[in-house]
Amino acid sequence: MVLGISVDSRFANKEFAEKIGVKFPLLSDFTRKVSKEYGILDDERQFARRTTFVVDKEGKIQHIEAGGGAIDPTGAIQMCSMLKQKETK
Amino acid sequence: MLRRAIWLLFFLFFVASLAPAQQPQQAVATTHLKVGDVAPDFTLPDQNGTPVKLSDFRGKKNVVLAFYVLAFTGG
Repeated sequence: MVLGISVDSRFANKEFAEKIGVKFPLLSDFTRKVSKEYGILDDERQFARRTTFVVDKEGKIQHIEAGGGAIDPTGAIQMCSMLKQKETK
Repeated sequence: MLRRAIWLLFFLFFVASLAPAQQPQQAVATTHLKVGDVAPDFTLPDQNGTPVKLSDFRGKKNVVLAFYVLAFTGG
């Protein structure tokens, strides 16, 4: 399950989702509360820094990719397949 | 002549010492969360207004949370 999160309004996210054709939910953290809780809110510019978290079924963080590295989903994908392998064992 | 050279040297050192302070501080601060931490729960509306709660996936699915900067910015 992939969840995209940004500080955009849900209306901007709807248009964005349609434009780029994503099928997964794009969540609107309009109040910045969640970005703050995850410690990735850019104080000066008030938006979330590009970061990817992989959360396992127990709700635990298994992988964090921050900054430029988060553009490349390879790390997150690898972690997901590792978690899947663990489950089937 | 020598005096001028010394002054010039002094001036250059002074400028050099200022330079790092003038560079904008890079926003290197990243998340305080670590691998193994429980991901803070949240409920946020998706693009259709439907609330999505992280803990609803617990015991069911692994979740990739992809925070992106802003819509329409290629990121």
